[in-house]
Amino acid sequence: MFEQFREIGRDLFVAGLITSHGGNMSVRLGDRIVITRRGAMLGRLRPEDLVETGLEADDAMVTLASTELVVHRAIYRATSALAIVHTHPLHATALSLVEDAIVPVDSEGSYLLHRVPVVAAAKTVGSLEVARILPPALRDHPIAVLRGHGAFAVGALLEEAYMVSTTLEASARILCILRSLGTDRIREYREGADRYDRW
Amino acid sequence: MKGWTGRLLRVDLSARRARAEEIPAGVLRDYLGGRGLGAHLLYASGRHRLDPLAAEAAFVVATGPLTGTRAPTASRTSCTALSPLTGTLFDANSGGLFGIRLKRAGYDALWVEGAADTPVVVVVDPDGVRFDPATELWGMGNRAVRAALRGRYGPKAAVLTVGPAGETGSRLANVAHGERFFGRGGLGAVLGAKRVKALVVRGDGPVGVADPQGFGFVVGECRKWLAAHPITSRGLPGFGTAVLMNVVNAVGALPARNFRQSRFGRAEAVSGEALREVTTGRKACPGCPIACGRRVSLDGREVQGPEFETLWSFGADLGLADLETVIRLNLLCNDLGLDTISAGATLAAARELWEEGALDFDPLEGGPAGVARLLEAMARAEGPGELLRHGSDHLARTVGRPGAAMTVKGMELPAYDPRGCQGQGLAYATSNRGGCHLRSYMVAPEILATPKRVDRFAWSGKAGLVIVQQNLNAAVDSLVLCRFTGFALSEGYYARLVRTATGWDLDGQELLTVGERIYTVERLANLDRGLGRDHDTLPRRLLDEPVPDGPSAGHTVRLDPMLDEYYRFRGWDEGGRPTARKLARLGLGGPEAADV
Repeated sequence: MFEQFREIGRDLFVAGLITSHGGNMSVRLGDRIVITRRGAMLGRLRPEDLVETGLEADDAMVTLASTELVVHRAIYRATSALAIVHTHPLHATALSLVEDAIVPVDSEGSYLLHRVPVVAAAKTVGSLEVARILPPALRDHPIAVLRGHGAFAVGALLEEAYMVSTTLEASARILCILRSLGTDRIREYREGADRYDRW
Repeated sequence: MKGWTGRLLRVDLSARRARAEEIPAGVLRDYLGGRGLGAHLLYASGRHRLDPLAAEAAFVVATGPLTGTRAPTASRTSCTALSPLTGTLFDANSGGLFGIRLKRAGYDALWVEGAADTPVVVVVDPDGVRFDPATELWGMGNRAVRAALRGRYGPKAAVLTVGPAGETGSRLANVAHGERFFGRGGLGAVLGAKRVKALVVRGDGPVGVADPQGFGFVVGECRKWLAAHPITSRGLPGFGTAVLMNVVNAVGALPARNFRQSRFGRAEAVSGEALREVTTGRKACPGCPIACGRRVSLDGREVQGPEFETLWSFGADLGLADLETVIRLNLLCNDLGLDTISAGATLAAARELWEEGALDFDPLEGGPAGVARLLEAMARAEGPGELLRHGSDHLARTVGRPGAAMTVKGMELPAYDPRGCQGQGLAYATSNRGGCHLRSYMVAPEILATPKRVDRFAWSGKAGLVIVQQNLNAAVDSLVLCRFTGFALSEGYYARLVRTATGWDLDGQELLTVGERIYTVERLANLDRGLGRDHDTLPRRLLDEPVPDGPSAGHTVRLDPMLDEYYRFRGWDEGGRPTARKLARLGLGGPEAADV
């Protein structure tokens, strides 16, 4: 399991999806969670950077767990997710500041995501408010963006959550490039795309 | 609410009468239809405690909220009853027109109880039910019965039939739905005990959806993925289910010689590639874009081709690595109404018992023709067939060698050796209908890398994946869609289909909760029947005897730690019983739902 965390953490950093000490990941093992340590460098994870604690109840290990433990727990309680990846993607976060949803126009993003909800909270780090408003957005979407903060992705495996995290940022970059070209209108090539914003 | 008719047709064979009843909307939301509705109806009635072949036992045929719509593969039908093979609550589903006709006749489900005094055909029309005599059909094979009924009731009638195996009460008897089958578990024996030779339904009423535009969009998105995924767009359409033979064999997870080996040296001869050489066409269930069925040439005519599991059971497991032989045996089993997995696997167990001197006849003596004679004898309860007709568990116990039965809860395991895919071992052990790959198909992530590859030899973390699959599959079986859609679609797609078809605001997570509720009701029924943790296990061979050679060499199944993790994850106690807290969360606290 550590190998998975280490490899995906490194790739997240190399891809620019997290800052040096930003982001976190977890997997659910029944009534337990294995989550990255608070302040861990995901690009340089060591075995001691993984912390195991309860899904429901606190134990002493919560002092070491990621600040976002409260959000991870809430997501696991509300969904069937077995893995969560939280990133700070630049372009998706930028779009979250001006949009209520990110609707990809590229092929990969259209197939995999259709539409990515954006939710907003006044307190954006380790907050109970986020723990309350974010999980509902993930009940029907594999990834959602917390305005101004970053993305939370879910999957049955870490690799799945990692995949949609990179897909979102690629789609967001394409949208930003289009806007830098002075347009967000495209020559439509997708069947049914007029309904993607309602997905 | 669209999607359902809200009506159940209750047929009492003993009294020869029928009446329609309302199904409460809450029940339909809580159990969807198909497998879930069947489980609920049997459990709520208390009849899940009966002998499966008792007259009072019930046989339920059910549709789902998508049946008859344009949703991909929405032409399937579900049957649920108590299994004479496993002693569990048992459902099976099959492609074909019966479910569509039943819904168009105005019913979500058909409940059949009692037993007729003479053989009957039960005919369901929108305006009533008839009990037509079937004495002259009794003893006929499925093919001849189907032809006779087509002549009697016309081409628009949809028909389920029982072959000789069902009539004689073989625990391996299936129910035929044209050339498709409600397999495993011996459901054919349940209808046979009721002296039902066939169920016929005619109906042509409309099936509508709540949001036609939105539904059409979601259907389009589903079809895009089915057309894009390599398994649903190339593998299954190109080779049929037999595409799996060489893939599974290559990783050393194809059981051979009654699971004494995990690789079969002659797999190529019964592979999808070999089958393609004699394939003359594809066959799709109505509304299915995948078309995994095969038509093949035999003796200058076009016949139905065998599925992967049949090629495995008679090919690798029994050792008849000759494609033409398996095609013939498949046709014979289908006509007799014998489940091909269990029939082939039972003969493989018999072969091992003969080799070890525990059985006084060799099932392979006489070659393919001798095997055909044995199958006929099994279906008709004659001669040596008497010993084999109830499956390998019954056979092995009868001769005092229970270890030769490669079964879980009495049902023969299918074509994947769990020593080469640990999660599939947990899936087999915890399957609430016995040795089955359809409750949770861990082969997908462990061998087919779908949705992503996981370490097939690791045991930690597998419980969660098995549970999510079990819950999702319970929901998909209750929508009565084909399991193959799950290679390409996730719960969000299924939920959107339901949402736009019914107008009910269901999301992907709620769909999974419905699936968990169904799985739990099935578990509760099995617990009431005395099936608990002791039965969540595997044959000793798979736990104690390492794979002798090949890519999975040296491995056994690490079941105990996976099982502990599984129970904790499910919210069950150490005995495998759902806790009161879990039941309350699923709305199952106190007396289960009121009788419908």
